[in-house]
Amino acid sequence: MKIKRVLIIDDEESIQTVVRFGIAMAAGWEVLTASSGPQGIHTAQSELIDVILLDVMMPDMDGIATFHALKTYPKTEVIPVIFLTAKAQTSEKNHFNDLGVSGVITKPFNSLDLPSQISKILHWELQS
Amino acid sequence: MALAHLQDPLQTQKNSSTPSRQQQTKKQLLQPMLEKAGDAIAVLDPSGTLLEVNAAACHLFGRSRRTLVGKSLATLIKPVLDITFDINQVPLNGQLTVVCPKGIERFVEYTLTHNVYPQVHLAIFRDLTQRQAQAEEELRWQRQRVELFSEVTLKIRQSLQLKEILRATVTEVQRILRADRVLIYQVLADGTGKPISESVLPAYPAILGMEFPEEVFPKDYQALYAQGRVRAIADVHSPNAGLAECLVEFVEQFNIQSKLIVPILQNLNPPQPSQENSQNQLWGLLIAHQCSGPRTWADFELELMQQLADQISIAIAQAQLLETLEERVAARTAQLQQMNDSLQQEINDRMQAEAALRQSEEQLRLITNALPVLIAYVDHQQKYRFNNKAYEDWLNQRPADIQGHHIQKVWGKACYRRMQPSVEAALGGAVVTYENEVMVHDGSTRSVNVTYIPHLDEQQTVQGFFALTSDISDRKAIERMKDEFIAVVSHELRTPLTSMHSALKILATGRLGTLSVDGQQMLEIADDNTERLVRLVNNVLDLQRIESGEVTMNKQAHNAADLMIQAMEAMQPMAGQQGVTISTQPKDILIWADADYIVQTLTNLLSNAIKFSSIDGIVTLTIEVRQTSEGKAKDLGLNNIQTLTLTPNPSPRTGEGSKNLVPLLPPWEKGLGDEGVQSASLPSNSLDYLIHDPKQEVLFQVCDQGQGIPADRLESIFERFYQVDSSDSRKKGGTGLGLAICRKIIEQHEGTIWAESTLGSGSIFSFTLPTLKI
Repeated sequence: MKIKRVLIIDDEESIQTVVRFGIAMAAGWEVLTASSGPQGIHTAQSELIDVILLDVMMPDMDGIATFHALKTYPKTEVIPVIFLTAKAQTSEKNHFNDLGVSGVITKPFNSLDLPSQISKILHWELQS
Repeated sequence: MALAHLQDPLQTQKNSSTPSRQQQTKKQLLQPMLEKAGDAIAVLDPSGTLLEVNAAACHLFGRSRRTLVGKSLATLIKPVLDITFDINQVPLNGQLTVVCPKGIERFVEYTLTHNVYPQVHLAIFRDLTQRQAQAEEELRWQRQRVELFSEVTLKIRQSLQLKEILRATVTEVQRILRADRVLIYQVLADGTGKPISESVLPAYPAILGMEFPEEVFPKDYQALYAQGRVRAIADVHSPNAGLAECLVEFVEQFNIQSKLIVPILQNLNPPQPSQENSQNQLWGLLIAHQCSGPRTWADFELELMQQLADQISIAIAQAQLLETLEERVAARTAQLQQMNDSLQQEINDRMQAEAALRQSEEQLRLITNALPVLIAYVDHQQKYRFNNKAYEDWLNQRPADIQGHHIQKVWGKACYRRMQPSVEAALGGAVVTYENEVMVHDGSTRSVNVTYIPHLDEQQTVQGFFALTSDISDRKAIERMKDEFIAVVSHELRTPLTSMHSALKILATGRLGTLSVDGQQMLEIADDNTERLVRLVNNVLDLQRIESGEVTMNKQAHNAADLMIQAMEAMQPMAGQQGVTISTQPKDILIWADADYIVQTLTNLLSNAIKFSSIDGIVTLTIEVRQTSEGKAKDLGLNNIQTLTLTPNPSPRTGEGSKNLVPLLPPWEKGLGDEGVQSASLPSNSLDYLIHDPKQEVLFQVCDQGQGIPADRLESIFERFYQVDSSDSRKKGGTGLGLAICRKIIEQHEGTIWAESTLGSGSIFSFTLPTLKI
């Protein structure tokens, strides 16, 4: 399995850092970071990305708006998106699924577990 | 005629005597007889010339004998219809009018005898003028009497006033009789008497109103009068009158010279006309006095007085009848008055009662109007019978728009749909408490807490219910703020927790450098507490979501065995770590529940049981179906009022549960289902009743063999952040919210949760869930 490129879009820098460290440490994947929706969209368009981890609660442009925007571009449209959210209710999860989101990972999470969670959601063969 | 008779026997007896001598003797004999005769006698020749007349004839014709003899009778007779009197033509007897000098006419009766002697006729006249005058006088009196009668009778008829009748009688009698005094003397029961009506000429003293002692009119006299005696005394001084000396003296003081007394009788038994001799009683006397001198009372005068006395008797009888009638009228009037009074009293009493009622109602209204809550009474037809002013203020409706109107009309269709299940439950006899959102007149929404208390009559039939609605908008707003605050804080905590948690985990891998043993220990403490903080945040958020109604139980039919196994498997690692065995006997029982939350409850209880078990301890999870208290009550034939406490309505934000409920709703409940949110959580909801078997419930139990819980703590352990021993929280890593969450979850399923424990030998945590009817 080739090295995956993960884009984390979260306004919290500390989250970006632990996600980057955790994923790199656990699976050796490459993690790109963005601090806002527009910045994330820009990166997703300019880089080759395998999966986007998108924080739902962000100032200005929130995760849902960013997700809708990503779906408007042919290049980013196909990239699977996993929401990172503090809201963990079934109803919300269903709502996100209805939007066409690939999956939801609830905060707080252990960033070391992220590669396995992502692989499980996207049905990737994970080599340990 | 008498002369003729006289002549006949002489003629027949002395038939044989010599004619001349005999004739001479006859003449001598007849002459004085002729002269003395009362009737006028005339002798006529065949031509009607008078040959001889007697003195009576001279008187009758008003002429001397000399003038009359030789005169034709026809000249002295008034022609009838211009036909001259002819002696040869007229009937032998009849009546005719004699014309006297100075135009005087005399009406006479005549008898004509032809040929008493050859060629000699005899005519006898009798003057009828006197008799006619007498007859006319008689007629006049009779007419007067009739007039008086009719007058008095008329007066008696026109007036029922005895006094007036008596007064009229004396006046009229005095006028007719030309008496000096006429009076009516009433005899009283004690024998005394007094004149009660009098008509007297001004020249004589009046005796009206004087009281006379009994001696004046003794009892035996009264008895005589009672038998109908009438006394006419022409002259009181005459010995014939038979009056005692004292009485003569007595009457003299009133100038009485002559008197006429008739009794006025009273028939004691007037209603029996068949009794001829019904007893008469002397009521009084009708008396006429002559004061100017003695007077002989004519028979007709007596008769008149008697008849008048009879009329007076009738008048008295009538007056007495009237009096009786008046007495009866008076008695009846008094009776009516009494009835009227009592009726009036009754009316007054009723008015007083009504006034008291009004006052008490006024007070009630005053009190209820002063309270800042809505108070109403609704009848079994769901119509308002009483409401306080708050209703009018909230809805800006007039009392007339509320009183007697249906709840739906007052609150609107949408609002009524949310009220309906509770209204029906209240009318079913249950005390209901629920929360609702109502729209007031300015369009704003208010949160209300509503309690319905059924009103039962003596037969325990529901007549209606009392509705108490209080505004909890402020409390709700604060609750919402609290919920929002908790939600925000929890969310905001999660992000830094994620960073901390991940960072610590990364550090713990040792790939960023090896820590000393102490450093490693510190790292573990940080890691453990981060995890605990994560649990705490999760639990706080869970509890808040359930309490705020943000969470709707996604209830569906599940096999209880599946959920039990799921929970056991989840707890197996923890049990293994603790060296505790989980023993379970799953059963295939259908329950109506949100699987995730029931698994959460079971894991929570299992987790607690494991935590408080000693090594090698056994935790048992069991399930059974048992009869509910309602089922038992029904079996016993009891029908107590049940008290339902309904959970708060979920906020409109989350309508998740209802979506899943819709397909299960029967067609007639579709509207209710669409309305959504509220219907899913109300126990009186028709859906729940359709699928629940109220007689049965499922009982889950988790038993441990731990240290047990003191009896006085068995209830408080379900409170937030409550732990039996404060050191437990640190030792066992609990959040203090687990059981509170469990209770909330079970309440949302209309079940109950409780704990039983024996110190030193373990605890049993039980909860029930409704079973499905199938």
